[in-house]
Amino acid sequence: MPRNTVRPQPDQSWAQDYYYQPASPGGTWPATPAAPPTSPPRAAKQAGKTAADHQTQRRTAKSRVDEWMEVDFKFGGSRIKRKAVALVLLGLPAPVPLFFMLPALLTLNSNTFAVSVDDTLGTGAEVCLFLCLLVTPMVTLTGQHWFVPLRRWYGIMMAACSVGDAVAASITDDFAGGVFGRVAGHVFELMGFFMVMLVIPIVCTSNPWAQRKLGKYWKRFQRLTYVIWGLLACHLMLLEGFGFESGSNGSGFAGDGDAIFHQRFYQYSACSLFLLTLRLPPVKRWIVDRQKEGRMWLVWVTVAPIFALFLLGFVFILNEQIFKGIDSFTEHPSAE
Amino acid sequence: MTTEAYPDAGRPGMTSGGIIITAVSCLSALLVVAALVYATGIGQRHTAALAAADCEPNLSPSGQQCTTQPMMAAEYTAMLAPASQQLTTDAAAYTANEGDHLAVAEAALTAEVAAERALGRSLAAFPFPPAIAPIAKGLIQANQARAALTAEQAASSSLTRLRSFNHQVQLADAAVQTEMKLVRAAVDAPLPGA
Repeated sequence: MPRNTVRPQPDQSWAQDYYYQPASPGGTWPATPAAPPTSPPRAAKQAGKTAADHQTQRRTAKSRVDEWMEVDFKFGGSRIKRKAVALVLLGLPAPVPLFFMLPALLTLNSNTFAVSVDDTLGTGAEVCLFLCLLVTPMVTLTGQHWFVPLRRWYGIMMAACSVGDAVAASITDDFAGGVFGRVAGHVFELMGFFMVMLVIPIVCTSNPWAQRKLGKYWKRFQRLTYVIWGLLACHLMLLEGFGFESGSNGSGFAGDGDAIFHQRFYQYSACSLFLLTLRLPPVKRWIVDRQKEGRMWLVWVTVAPIFALFLLGFVFILNEQIFKGIDSFTEHPSAE
Repeated sequence: MTTEAYPDAGRPGMTSGGIIITAVSCLSALLVVAALVYATGIGQRHTAALAAADCEPNLSPSGQQCTTQPMMAAEYTAMLAPASQQLTTDAAAYTANEGDHLAVAEAALTAEVAAERALGRSLAAFPFPPAIAPIAKGLIQANQARAALTAEQAASSSLTRLRSFNHQVQLADAAVQTEMKLVRAAVDAPLPGA
């Protein structure tokens, strides 16, 4: 039985960052200063049951999950953090869209690329973008930080998928106008082209060196991801419009019977509602206030329908990804 | 929409954040319920859409729930194209050598027989709908007759004997072409009942 160890936290500033950070760049955080995250529970008892105590207890409880994730375990002669295993497992699905296109790339199957690369890598980029954007709301809700590194990983995979999609489209699409016509010949393509043009500098600066060099501008620069999020809405609106056409839109073939669920803009909207709402500074403040009051159940009850809608949209995006991806992998691309 | 405190109640009143998240939550709940209601009608819409979209159930080569007429026509073309190309190449090789190279001409005919038999197997395995199956059976039989004749021709011991089959093979080939046109027309037409 391997002996678990808890390594001392070299820097717990992340916890303070979370509990003391402003809700938005220009927003305000509750003025009441909170006790440090490592305050012993005994001190909280002595001070009585005030809102600050709830906050302290909550913080202590939340940090336990992060601490649990920091614990090592022995595997094959080396020690691995639980967090590392969890991050690898959660990060593994991100490159799957690229994996789906690998056989077509290795066999130079231009037909598969021409027919289904947009759906396979485009949907893959959308999935990775939403997973990337999901990290912040989950931090807000759970107070845990161990999964924050996934944001960068999903962002990089989103960039890989979107650039791969653009490159393949520039070679194999049959739109007129040469390479530029193939990637930006239609307005919806132009939106995709802008997204790719934005994602390249963002991914190039998503490293500690660039973070040091850009200083205070780094975070603002990384927020261009929100522009990509908005452009994706335009891209999907122009691609499929607001309506649905009995399976002609999305991955549902004629006769599917659930065309609305396959409408890509609806999927996007269902997912974005959760991601956007949990980013709004007043909402974040409301959640923190409920945390302080020890009424987290109210947050969960209120957020549950929004999260259910997110899951509903996301499941059908994943359905599209798996359906089209497997067709691409077997080199029998689906043109639906 | 600003924060209001109610000291008597001991708890702060509804803040703008609370209003926003409650409104979004209610909207989401409504949408989720609407989605569930919509989901209950999937089966009926599926059946109706099958009838309305030229779908022939259970014919799909790729395991989908239905095959549309364009899908079936595309599959048929994809099956036929390589076989036709191979047969054209073999026929050209035979024509070029039937005058003076017995061994080469026989090799071309042997390859032609193999291609014709492969085409026959593909046609037999193709999921033709019931309305087209009898027409396709005629094509398969004509193709079998042509393959048998070509095999007999390939076994000829002299160039004269080899060429003596030409007229019969041409007739058999014409019969196959006629059957192919019938099948093509049936495959390209809207599926019965659509």
